[in-house]
Amino acid sequence: MTALLELDRTATAVPVVVDAPDVDWRAMNDTADAGPQAEPRAQFEEQALPFMDQLYAAAMRMTRNPADAADLVQETFVKAFGSWATFTQGTNLKAWLYRILTNTYINTYRKKQREPYQSAIDDLEDWQLGGAESTTASSARSAEAEAIDHMPASVVKDALQSIPEDFRMAVYLADVEGFAYQEIADIMKTPIGTVMSRLHRGRRLLRDLLSDYAKERGITAATGEKK
Amino acid sequence: MSDCGCDKARRDLEEYLRNEVCKTEAKDIREHLENCPGCQDEALVARTLTDVVARACKETAPDELRDQVLSRLRAIQATH
Repeated sequence: MTALLELDRTATAVPVVVDAPDVDWRAMNDTADAGPQAEPRAQFEEQALPFMDQLYAAAMRMTRNPADAADLVQETFVKAFGSWATFTQGTNLKAWLYRILTNTYINTYRKKQREPYQSAIDDLEDWQLGGAESTTASSARSAEAEAIDHMPASVVKDALQSIPEDFRMAVYLADVEGFAYQEIADIMKTPIGTVMSRLHRGRRLLRDLLSDYAKERGITAATGEKK
Repeated sequence: MSDCGCDKARRDLEEYLRNEVCKTEAKDIREHLENCPGCQDEALVARTLTDVVARACKETAPDELRDQVLSRLRAIQATH
């Protein structure tokens, strides 16, 4: 009994059939102590819950406060569990969870926050958002990298928070989660070209904000002036 | 001026750094980067920006949230 359950666990966590090619998963399931419903939940908890920190971090960037982020993550897991039967084992679970998180956020929290809908921002020209081309002289760039590298986390988060939401999510999904463009396109339900545009413009804005901050601080420190 | 490779490297740098360009293009950009300090710096800034954002956004979910989620899941199952 215990051995059977353990074998089942192993087979679930690693998509490789261990020693038992003809194993009937559902039949084994029925032998579980807590009845036929117990195993999907155990499977869900084992596979999906490890993403909680990541989903919470994303939810924090979306909702901007811990209470709403916690609610959003909770709703996401509840919905994901409700749709668990539709998840295909072996496909990208993280992307699947992010899709649910993003949908849940758009359908509930974004409305609640009464933020102006940001998609119109994609139509803005680059000049309206600030320079698209780097005006930084080449010799100053490694200094720029250095300055950005030493930026306090709070400043980076503030800067991220200040850029348009769709840009922020594209940057977040690419830079923090390392999703591929196609995965981001699926999560945000936009064409890849839009993902690239949002990512580039978001990162451009972010870079300028951080470089400006560094410059200001640098100047202030050098002259001993207080702003 | 236009075929020194900088234009192409700069334009596709983000995609190159994310492995979103095809192999031949990646090879061109890689070779250009090896010989162009300006583009190397640009790549460094781009990578640093990614690192800094990733670092700043790390969060740990509160323990209460974990408990709440587990009890919600169990409650849902109990009603089935």
